[in-house]
Amino acid sequence: MEPVNLFQLAAQQSRWLGVRQSAVAGNVANANTPGYGTVDVEPFEKVLDNTAASLKTTQAGHLRGRTTQSGFALSQEDSSKSLLPSENSVVLETEMLKAGEIRRQFELNTAIVKAFHRMIMLSSKG
Amino acid sequence: MIGAISALDFKSIGGSGGVAEGGVAGAGGASPTASFASVLSDMASRTVDTLENAEQVSVKALQGDVDAREVADAVMTAEQTLQAAVAIRDKIISAYMEISRMAI
Amino acid sequence: MDPLAAALKVAASGLSAQSERLRVVSENLANAQSTGETPGADAYRRKTITFSAELDRASGGSLVEIAGINRDRSDFPIEFMPGHEAADEKGFVKMPNVNVLLEMADMSEANRSYEANLQVIKQARDLISMTIDLMRGQ
Repeated sequence: MEPVNLFQLAAQQSRWLGVRQSAVAGNVANANTPGYGTVDVEPFEKVLDNTAASLKTTQAGHLRGRTTQSGFALSQEDSSKSLLPSENSVVLETEMLKAGEIRRQFELNTAIVKAFHRMIMLSSKG
Repeated sequence: MIGAISALDFKSIGGSGGVAEGGVAGAGGASPTASFASVLSDMASRTVDTLENAEQVSVKALQGDVDAREVADAVMTAEQTLQAAVAIRDKIISAYMEISRMAI
Repeated sequence: MDPLAAALKVAASGLSAQSERLRVVSENLANAQSTGETPGADAYRRKTITFSAELDRASGGSLVEIAGINRDRSDFPIEFMPGHEAADEKGFVKMPNVNVLLEMADMSEANRSYEANLQVIKQARDLISMTIDLMRGQ
């Protein structure tokens, strides 16, 4: 396995987390919009698998073929699965849980980057 | 652990198995006559090891679920050994400069 | 656009949408007893609000917009009040088709959604802050 550059990996995860956060924001803002289905990004493991291939190709089965500008595929839930007559499938609690996950991963990400940056600066001094 | 803080305390570094473990001087089994060069190379390889370990754990953490404490511990250990190694390097260089300035 | 900035924009649109919703609810509640002024006149007709999702080209986020504020077309409930200025020849007065309990429930839902949007804004702002902090330090 070829060596993974830590900073590149962290940058990629940071972009992915940003996209996921904006997906969560969209879900929360549209929690009362009729016909709106919950949106989420593909899991990060899948992103890592796809890194060799071009990120910009959309995948079949993703509604509206939406990719974000950074190339992560978004998927939208089929809103007819919702229990509400307004066909809205957003569950606020789930979105809040996702937001918590995002925050934890983001904090870990920035802490790791900061620590390794510090170590590199330390060894380059003098 | 006080011994570990002193970067120049080669005996404790060589003997206790690592600055980061805070070992008391002499807890390990290194002989008091360990050569300067061997202690230095020991330090260097230990630094590289802890750095590699920290990097591996961090990559694993970014890819999936690793206990945050594990990552913190690995990174802190790496930083500690690196700090010690850098301090030693600086001391060696300044000692060399001093020697080179001595009038013959 | 930076996805975190897009998240802020989206959540802000959510805040203003929920504010508008609260305004409509408070109008309905305030006018829950507003009848007409002439005999047989219509009472206050309940207002409803509908949202729609709009894909924002610039940021790539799903903003929420107000599709419209309409009137609830269900029938007015009738009360027997012969002396009332809006009473028809049989003494019945049309009352607003506002259900106070429904409006109160809608209000707490709107509050909940507003809070959730606020949380998103706080978090997005914190994440941006953390990123900028990477550059700080000795």
